[in-house]
Amino acid sequence: MTGGPPEPIARLIESFNRLPGIGPKSAQRLAYHILRVPEHEAAALANAILDVKQRIVLCSVCMNITESDPCSYCQDPRRDGSIICVVEQALDILAVERAGAFRGRYHVLHGVINPMDGIGPEHLRLRELIERVRAGGVEEVIMATNPSLEGEATAMYVQRLLGPLGVKVTRLARGLPSGADLEYTDDVTLARALEGRQEM
Amino acid sequence: MTLSARARVYKTDGVIIRRRNLGEADSIFTVFSGDQGKFDAIARGVRKARSHMRGHLEPLTRSSLMLAHGRTLDVFTQAQTIHAYRAVREDLDRTASALYCAELVDQISAERVPNPELFALFVSILDALEGSAPAHVVQYFELRLLAASGYEIQLDRCAVCDGRLAEEETVLSPAAGGLVCRGCRPAAGQGRIISVRGIKVLRFARGATLEAFAGLRMDAGLAREVQAALSSVVVHTLERELNTERHLADVARLPARD
Repeated sequence: MTGGPPEPIARLIESFNRLPGIGPKSAQRLAYHILRVPEHEAAALANAILDVKQRIVLCSVCMNITESDPCSYCQDPRRDGSIICVVEQALDILAVERAGAFRGRYHVLHGVINPMDGIGPEHLRLRELIERVRAGGVEEVIMATNPSLEGEATAMYVQRLLGPLGVKVTRLARGLPSGADLEYTDDVTLARALEGRQEM
Repeated sequence: MTLSARARVYKTDGVIIRRRNLGEADSIFTVFSGDQGKFDAIARGVRKARSHMRGHLEPLTRSSLMLAHGRTLDVFTQAQTIHAYRAVREDLDRTASALYCAELVDQISAERVPNPELFALFVSILDALEGSAPAHVVQYFELRLLAASGYEIQLDRCAVCDGRLAEEETVLSPAAGGLVCRGCRPAAGQGRIISVRGIKVLRFARGATLEAFAGLRMDAGLAREVQAALSSVVVHTLERELNTERHLADVARLPARD
């Protein structure tokens, strides 16, 4: 092919272009940036990418991504093993941890049920959750999936599966985020915020 | 075309039937509206916590929408909920039924072809599910959707030879587009045997109001028969299985609520 960039650069552009949110122009810019940085910086990036793929595994208990199995949350004896917080993705654990209000353990589903796109319960780490609850010692499962149609459907699905096992299944409350405008709040959020009001 | 030649923005009343995420904070929504038909549009920044449109663009929400013409996709500029269908969204079975209807609408509709009759039907089904109508209203929707989209099922005379049908168990042939008499069975291709009671339910659905059909009492066997018959016609018409049909079956297998 004539006129295009040399083959190694073309290959790098192509690789960047496959990343989410990166279009052809951004891919070109990134590739030419890499060309300009010192070699040790480029090597650090390449190694970081390889390390993530080679050293990160799924925790065999909670399905969180981790370097050591079981993960640090599952190993920590100070955490309460009788409460499990179920999240959509591993990143959500960081958000819950940042809030600093939860000292139980986690379970990562790695997705939500999305019927329109053909993503069903068999695509999620649901069987592992059921096994954990069946093994005993769990009193409460907190469904912390997103308050979207798919997140709600997933929470209800899990509730129906776990209900017969005699465990308490709870759902994160829904209300107004701090800094919100009542004027723009949707009806469902506002109705639930009213239902969940608290005495001051 | 210059901007003055056509309005920069337009308003429509539509139901969100699908969402796909785009980039960091944007989403593309598929909307079905009465005057615009089915179309995709983009909502910028809608996944940020402080987005004003977020809750008004959830799938299965009917919203009053304002859009600006874009180069490829139009862009949402305002959204205000008309009906959030909260009872549907807070019940797994009804969510599954509503999503099945939404996927049917999505699959059978062409882009930007208005079908006010189908829109009214879709909204009436969502309203019915919100008001705790029985699950078999979905079958009413399937039958009427086929008719409103030009695929009416032939139920009175043989779909192959136009001859009279005997009052007996008959074959419903998706390929022929309706019931088929004994003589034409070999010519009609694959079909599904449907009982006299099943045929009566289908004929009733064709003329009845939604309220009347919702009030119909069917035992589980008859409901399953009607469901399977219509589903076979739908799959044949769309030439594909529906993703949400698997979800409906998944949900049906779950332990009942306490």
